[in-house]
Amino acid sequence: MEKYLHKHVWHMGRYFCATMMAICLSTGLPLASHGAANGTSTGESKGLSAVDVTVSGTVTDVSGQPLPGVTVSLPGTNIGTATDLDGKYTLNVPEGSTLVFSFIGFVSQNIAVDARSVIDVVLSEDMTSLEEVVVVGYGEQKKATITGSISSVSGEKLAAVPSINYSNTLSGRIPGLTAVTRTGEPGGDAATLRIRGANTLGNNSPLIVVDGIANRGLDRLNPTDIESITVLKDASAAIYGAQAANGVILITTKRGNIGAPEVTAEFNQGWAMPTMLPKMADARTYATMLNEISHYNGQPAIYSAEEIQQFGDGSDIWRYPNTDWFEETLKPSTQQRTGNLSVKGGSDNMNYFVSVGGNFQDGIYINSATNYSQANFRANLDGKISENIKLSFDVAGRQENRNYPTRSASSIFSFLMRGKPTLHAYWPNGMNGPDIEYGDNPVVITTDQTGYDKDKIFDLNSRMNLDVTLPWVKGLSITGNIAVDKTFQNNKLWQTPWYLYTWDGVTYNDNDEPHLVRGQRGYSDPRLRQAGTDTQRITLNGLINYSRSIADLHNISLLVGSERISGESMNYGGFRRYFISTAVDQLFAGGELEQSTFGSANKNARLNYFGRANYDFLGKYLFEFVFRYDGSYIFPAEGRYGFFPGVSAGWVMSEENFLKDRVSWINFLKVRGSWGQTGNDRIEPFQYLTSYGFGSTNYVFNEDWEDKTLSELRIANPNITWEIANQSNIGLDGQLFGGKFTFAADYFYNLRTNILCQRSASVPYTSGLTLPRENIGEVVNQGIELELGYQNTACALSYSVSVNGGYQNNKIKFWDETPGAPEWQRSTGSPMNTSLVYKAIGVFKDQAAVDAYPHWVGARPGDVIFEDINKDGEIDGLDRIRTQKTDLPTFQGGLNIDLRYKNFYSNIFLQGAMGAQRNMYYEFQGEGGNFRVSDAEGRWTEENPSATKPRAWNRYSEYWRNYTNTYWLEDSDYLRFKNLVVGYNFAHPMLGDAKVNVYFSGMNLFTWSTIEDHDPESTSNTAYPLNKVYNLGVVLTF
Amino acid sequence: MRHQKYIFLTFLLGLFLMSACSDNFLETEPLDEFADGAVWGDENLSEAFINNIYQRLDQTFTQGRLKAMIVDEAHYRGNTASLQFNRSQLTADGIPSWGNNQSFSSWNDLYKSIRFANMFLENADRIPAEEQVLNRMKGEALFLRAYLYHLLMRQYGGVPLVSRVFELVDDFNVPRSSLEETVNFIVADLDQAVTLLPTSYTGNDIGRATKGAALALKSRVLVRAASDLYNTPIFSNYSNPELIAYVGGSRTVRWQAAKDAAKAVMDLGQYGLYKADPAPGEDIAENFNQLFISKNNEEDIFLRYFTLRDNVQIGLVTGPNGWHNWGTNAPVGDLVDDYAMADGSRFDWNNPSHAAKPYENREPRFYATILYEGAKWRPRPEYLRAEEPEGVIQVGKWEIWDETTNSIQIKHGLDTRQSPIENWNGSYTGYYARKFVDPQHDHQYIRQDVPYRFIRYTEIVLNYVEACIELGEYEEARLHLNSIRRRAGLPPVTESGETLRDLYRLERRIELALEDHRIWDVRRWAIGPEAYDKSVTRAEVVYKLLPDKTTDSIPTITHVPLESHEWIDKAYFFPILRDELNRNELLIQNPDY
Repeated sequence: MEKYLHKHVWHMGRYFCATMMAICLSTGLPLASHGAANGTSTGESKGLSAVDVTVSGTVTDVSGQPLPGVTVSLPGTNIGTATDLDGKYTLNVPEGSTLVFSFIGFVSQNIAVDARSVIDVVLSEDMTSLEEVVVVGYGEQKKATITGSISSVSGEKLAAVPSINYSNTLSGRIPGLTAVTRTGEPGGDAATLRIRGANTLGNNSPLIVVDGIANRGLDRLNPTDIESITVLKDASAAIYGAQAANGVILITTKRGNIGAPEVTAEFNQGWAMPTMLPKMADARTYATMLNEISHYNGQPAIYSAEEIQQFGDGSDIWRYPNTDWFEETLKPSTQQRTGNLSVKGGSDNMNYFVSVGGNFQDGIYINSATNYSQANFRANLDGKISENIKLSFDVAGRQENRNYPTRSASSIFSFLMRGKPTLHAYWPNGMNGPDIEYGDNPVVITTDQTGYDKDKIFDLNSRMNLDVTLPWVKGLSITGNIAVDKTFQNNKLWQTPWYLYTWDGVTYNDNDEPHLVRGQRGYSDPRLRQAGTDTQRITLNGLINYSRSIADLHNISLLVGSERISGESMNYGGFRRYFISTAVDQLFAGGELEQSTFGSANKNARLNYFGRANYDFLGKYLFEFVFRYDGSYIFPAEGRYGFFPGVSAGWVMSEENFLKDRVSWINFLKVRGSWGQTGNDRIEPFQYLTSYGFGSTNYVFNEDWEDKTLSELRIANPNITWEIANQSNIGLDGQLFGGKFTFAADYFYNLRTNILCQRSASVPYTSGLTLPRENIGEVVNQGIELELGYQNTACALSYSVSVNGGYQNNKIKFWDETPGAPEWQRSTGSPMNTSLVYKAIGVFKDQAAVDAYPHWVGARPGDVIFEDINKDGEIDGLDRIRTQKTDLPTFQGGLNIDLRYKNFYSNIFLQGAMGAQRNMYYEFQGEGGNFRVSDAEGRWTEENPSATKPRAWNRYSEYWRNYTNTYWLEDSDYLRFKNLVVGYNFAHPMLGDAKVNVYFSGMNLFTWSTIEDHDPESTSNTAYPLNKVYNLGVVLTF
Repeated sequence: MRHQKYIFLTFLLGLFLMSACSDNFLETEPLDEFADGAVWGDENLSEAFINNIYQRLDQTFTQGRLKAMIVDEAHYRGNTASLQFNRSQLTADGIPSWGNNQSFSSWNDLYKSIRFANMFLENADRIPAEEQVLNRMKGEALFLRAYLYHLLMRQYGGVPLVSRVFELVDDFNVPRSSLEETVNFIVADLDQAVTLLPTSYTGNDIGRATKGAALALKSRVLVRAASDLYNTPIFSNYSNPELIAYVGGSRTVRWQAAKDAAKAVMDLGQYGLYKADPAPGEDIAENFNQLFISKNNEEDIFLRYFTLRDNVQIGLVTGPNGWHNWGTNAPVGDLVDDYAMADGSRFDWNNPSHAAKPYENREPRFYATILYEGAKWRPRPEYLRAEEPEGVIQVGKWEIWDETTNSIQIKHGLDTRQSPIENWNGSYTGYYARKFVDPQHDHQYIRQDVPYRFIRYTEIVLNYVEACIELGEYEEARLHLNSIRRRAGLPPVTESGETLRDLYRLERRIELALEDHRIWDVRRWAIGPEAYDKSVTRAEVVYKLLPDKTTDSIPTITHVPLESHEWIDKAYFFPILRDELNRNELLIQNPDY
């Protein structure tokens, strides 16, 4: 075993090996141990009246893998056992009994013993088992008796997805959860998460709770540490009160369970490349378009026909290149790696889950200065102090390293788009080519030639949990948590001059080669900016739980608790320039002149009380009430506390006599409804105080005396309070045909009131006021969510197919409108964050067409036609219309297919989104940069007057560039092959108890979209592109 | 099991304590802001509040884009918006080239600054400062408010006069006041400021508004008020003429007031023309350069200092692309043509000796204001020094005979739009601006710290001359006009009447070139058609191939049309934007929008 392990681990690369060795040494892991975890027989009772028979057998899953730990029991008695590691069991039962084989996550089977002594059973997986327990706010509940709109997904499901950022695995997995990835830059690729779309004009981000502690991060969690993710979408979130209006995402990490240590080692290697890159015009096209621009401006042509012909034809490679800047700057693919080692297990008194891991993600640039790496560990320990007292201690740490060049990704991709194909990236002799401006030649500024921008974050989360069961009151327990989360960040920006080569096109050196001149660019002198941030958050909470079943009819459970959260943060830093050498990149070595220091701090505090009461009758009629009484530092003392209630009820129809045992194909059917209020305090604090702050610029007196400037930051609104989310939801859950078919459907109606917005729209600027935000906005958001699943086994192939989708649409019900604005420009009644744009209805074919239709002053043939919306014969601001789409999709869904055949398994996941639009406008086209092929092909020219695309333009010179209009807005609907996993589980006697799983996985493999050139999820045309990843992974378990 | 009870009790106690300390637990305070009471209870913070209003007055040097580009002085390389402005394409939906490029100069920003001035004035009595200091600060706030309203007045005419701090419950809608009321309001603020402000400062207060600054601003406003735009019928059909013009009273009285206001500054005896009497052989052009580059001189009435740390972009934005600068604020040929010859005669392209060497023998201010082909600037970036060691401007092209191909090769100058260095940042006009740009800095890396001069003494003298001419006091006018010409090394004028007025206006154009005066002067003089209805010109500079296949060492220079501008009378005033009209139904739009 040990030999085997070492042999394989050795091939997993030095990086991972070192990590593994470290953890093995430090924990003294018994690598070779595989202690026998025999099923604990509980009912070898004596003195049974009937004649006993001995039954034995093996329980396997559909692939033939033995299932250990399956409960084999005889209902109504205390006879029972569990299968051992090999899936074997032996049990003495009375003759004529019927055995029940049950196992969490599998469909239970009832089997009559008859006269048999050997009964082998194959259990099929039940993805939505009624026994399944779901994590909810401050506790867990059985899925069957949940009354709120709660969806969850297991951590395992997402662990094979080759994403370095966890938020990028969530898209399309959970109905109602929208995850949109805007950029794929290593270290900066977090998805924007929205639960049920956007509900407020303010902050729409959900509350993230990790292991019961609010406001922890999700993005950089180690996927293999995660047990489950639950999303609270409706009033069930009210237990999180004033922070919960945008929904709550609960993440639970893995814990140990009783048994021998189970070691899992995992390594995967991925190759990433952009999903989509814009296709840029070649040198001839670009030069031609520049000539057209000059022609339209009445200027002489820049290039002769002969020169245009020479671009890229190889006749004069020094003067007439044809540069593809993307190809010169980007690699065909780049690498990423993840490695993890975890151990879990436990004994009666101590359970543990320990993991260490790390990942590395390289940038897509050739000679990339960009990369991301992290190292993380987690230890979740559960100890039993006495029979009634349990103590848990969790600690997780993570170091995140982000390395970048000194130019931002958006600046790099901006210059890639701008990159003139008529300029050299490198001169034919290999020297750095020239720039368009600022020295920003992409092949240079993507490397470390410009210095570096290094960001290190160390994040430490710890939690101690004490759980006391009170022996003298049955069902009463008390739990307390203390969590301390700390983050340290150190950012170091080291900027150094770099060098580019230029040629005047005329001068040659002594060797008759073009005379290249080396010039300094970027910065005149090396400079360093270093900053540190120290953030701390302490969460204390105490919970009292009581649960009781009365006469097996009435089930009651109660929870009350109190929580106190305090946080503080401070930052400081310094800047020096005029380093006389780049040899030492530390602050002390910089010059004295123009040095500066800076620093600031903030504090926050929250205190609240909450509770939940559940009652059900026979598991048939379900009721729940949750509340939170929440106090926040954000609000003035008089209105600091708020009360947030939520009620919900459910009716398990399938337990009623008219269905139960009568309609055999209905296994489970539940109707549920909820209503509640939650708050959104995700607003700028202290809005109740009038305040002043120093300006970023000083005012200089007496030649060089820099005096502070103080500005009015905020006019107070003494009545400020949280926004209120009024959430209503009805839903239906069911299982049909023996659990093969499952469904869940929800309709929700959210009315967000008290939304903070400024009354500025109706207040003239002459007042000089920047009005404070007031709780005056109202937004309605409604939608539906649907989840359907089917699973079955045919021959040895077991498969499950599920689809989920969520549609939501918001409308502003009330906010401040400008009184004089025309009806069709009003935003009330439209979705939030829409804008006013001119409507493009074509391109002026010729002068006659221009003369025939109202047009912008100075419009000419080849210009975009703006529609005269109000038919007043002129085009002005009144002709703008309100767009009805934003950059957030209104529909998002996924199709998931799981296949398992013997030792093979596969997961296919398609994801799509609709209802968003994207702005394709990019400023620096024309003299300042290149055009996309899609802009160039089919454009209007004097020879092609019937074009649907406008003439060549220069930057924002034309009115249809300068004024936002629909020509540049495109629907960004898409469907993508989001994930594919194909794997094989090796099982062979030679392997013993060890399991080896090898898989291929892919992410964003294909995208079908209504837009071209840019990824439909991105909103910026200069964003680092999203990644398509091909990945190979191996998991070793023993 | 004794432990168990102990743990349990501790636990309960902990929970209890947690809730019990709730009273002040949530009492936090912002750690990076100042409360209202703290500000007005502290002299230094109150002063910092005023500093912020100064800071908001103007961003011309910080952003580096001069208003010269939206009148017949200079050209913007990134053309569009300024071309729209130059073609009078202002509408209620947008004032092209004004918004982003002119921070703090928009209607919205100006009223916000005015609110700050009003806030100070309303809170002044809470400030625990000595009376003398407090009076000075009140005087500053009044001066600043007047300055802000004068900016509004030159854009819009009569505007809503807000002199109080609005509370949230107030009715915010204020109608426009008449032009006359607006002028009177500004003058009243200034008259009060004059009584409160000191004549000069010491130490780290140098740079604050003085008595002289308030008097000088008053001169500027009163000369404007007496000008043609507000005193002659231009918009005969406009229903509210009082908003944009005087509808009664005596214009002569207004000119007299303008004259008196200018005289009041001159009579202070505090200011004078910089190097007013150049000795024979003195480098007058260099004097004129220093007037703008130096940190302090006797012309300074109101200015803003900068340090190298301030991100002052004027040098970077203005300089030639061959120095990795951005070629903006490029003078047009029309401005160049208006510089006289050194002997005071007019330059004339039809004069063969002028046309052959147009940059020779021009008056000194030409050399101090404009960079032209062959003009000596600063050393090139180090790597270009081998190619161009002199540090001179190259806006031309050389026709060079290539013997191998028997054809003409064109070599373009480093500062052209065909340069190997950032060609798209090259000037379109064949000229670059020199005024205000400090030649000692490499502007691609280092920002300059040249002060921005809001009001310099020469402007006041010119105002005085203008008022004298309009009052028919030609002798007095010539006396002072000639003092400015003497400083520029030019012979005195002797003319009177209309001719003198024309000479004065030309003198003002040249003396104050690029200083953000021309755009406002052509409006108040109501000479829009003269300034805009034309094609502005650029220089074409060619070192021609001579018959002997060598390249001429003397360039052939011509002025050719660059782009055509257009004038519509509505552009005398800015439109109030539709958005603001929609918010306040009391507002009345300016004519023809």
